[in-house]
Amino acid sequence: MTKWYQLSGNDNDTAVSTKVALARNLSGHAFTINLSSEEKDCIAREVMDVLNEQLPDKFFATPMGDLDKDVAISLAERNLVSPEFVSFAEGRHFISTPDESLSLMVCEEDHLKIQAMLPGLELSRAYELADRLDSLLDEHLLFSFDKKLGYLTQCPANIGTAMRASVMLQLPALRIRGRIQTLASNISRLGLHLTGAYGEGENPVGSLYSLSNPVTLGISEDAALSNLKSLSESIIDQEREARKELMENLRFQDMLWRSCGTLKSARVMSFNEFMEAVSVVKIGIASGDIHVPMDRVNELIFTLQPATMNAESGMPLDRQVRDVKRAERIREAFADA
Amino acid sequence: MLCQNCGRNEATTHIKRIVNGEATELHLCTGCAAHLGYADMFSGFGFNISSILGSFFPETSLPAAGEEPLRCSTCGFTFDDIVRTGMMGCADCYDTFYDKLKPSLTRIHGRASHIGKVSTSADSLTERRDRIRDLTAQLQEAVRTQDFEHAAELRDEINALKGADHQ
Repeated sequence: MTKWYQLSGNDNDTAVSTKVALARNLSGHAFTINLSSEEKDCIAREVMDVLNEQLPDKFFATPMGDLDKDVAISLAERNLVSPEFVSFAEGRHFISTPDESLSLMVCEEDHLKIQAMLPGLELSRAYELADRLDSLLDEHLLFSFDKKLGYLTQCPANIGTAMRASVMLQLPALRIRGRIQTLASNISRLGLHLTGAYGEGENPVGSLYSLSNPVTLGISEDAALSNLKSLSESIIDQEREARKELMENLRFQDMLWRSCGTLKSARVMSFNEFMEAVSVVKIGIASGDIHVPMDRVNELIFTLQPATMNAESGMPLDRQVRDVKRAERIREAFADA
Repeated sequence: MLCQNCGRNEATTHIKRIVNGEATELHLCTGCAAHLGYADMFSGFGFNISSILGSFFPETSLPAAGEEPLRCSTCGFTFDDIVRTGMMGCADCYDTFYDKLKPSLTRIHGRASHIGKVSTSADSLTERRDRIRDLTAQLQEAVRTQDFEHAAELRDEINALKGADHQ
């Protein structure tokens, strides 16, 4: 089954993926902090009953406790569930379409987190997907809602639309030019949030950042999405400008071709090394100097993560074996670069 | 436990994360958590509200020892439970503790009210309940004036609405 991250997306030289998540709680049940594992199972059943009846064979549900460790962690690596959701699996269910573009975390912080994920910058389409599923569930389940406070969530910071939309952006040129910090503080003044997507601190792995909306009350979904969209587009423009500047710099060109050489010929490669090299090489792909489809590169960001590789091979691989396999797959993808 | 980053301050933020295909836990002090970008996005869907609630409500605002605290009649949570966990116990907690929560809600969200999508099921439920309340008042009036024919109609209408409520 083709996954959403194997498809092509808009602005894919910079925007890796878009995610829209809606938190919902079922009226008549306490919030998850006060639920037994049986009550959590019951919520998953209520949701699956509606889905099976309304959209037969579209969704499948998995109790997190039944999942193989690598399969569970792979979900977290691919941003479909939180690491915390994997760590305390009891009573929790993951419900998803086979391509994983539409999924639900059941009984994470809230009873339901309805999530839509798409490649590239696709905020409206991702919201449409999540919204449609939300409206369908709303017709059959009663959600906790207050006219003034909006959707009621376990954490008071998320009330209102209870929507978190985020765009994963790869910004190697802005990072190399040392512009991320200024950018992040300007963004926070506009009420949005830029953080590292993988790894922590000022140098996230592969220059991957997540841009999201922290405000959920007093702003409509449309307004929040359109803010996020226009700011994403402006960051993408800035990144492209910075890339042009870098391409005129001999030192950077040297770094670019060396990174490309590493990807074409390395025999052993860790995920972090791959991410660092590929974030630079993407600049050469976008400029037309290096010939690898951008979608293929974005797909590798998801599929070459450690637990995801283990899950795919059906067994836990030794780290060294995994690094060798990873290098093989990268060489294959970059053979004609 | 000391912060794993600076090794000096007490760790207050505990973050589950995935490193090299393994689920691990990172223990950080508040300063390092903020510096490393874990202050909000990574602790679940929202940010760690307990520190905001906790710092906003000094211990004096909690009931004195021996005094029975206000409890949510649905889930049994006290305001102390909310401050301690940073979480509401159930949807009714918002109603029960609204006055106490209001300063924190204002601090997080400003003086805003919800202006986004409206849950149609919850909305129609509220409308139905308002309609039932109206009809019940009319029914009592009809009984008082001995207009039994009208009372019977009203009773049927109320029962129909209540039936829909229980579906």
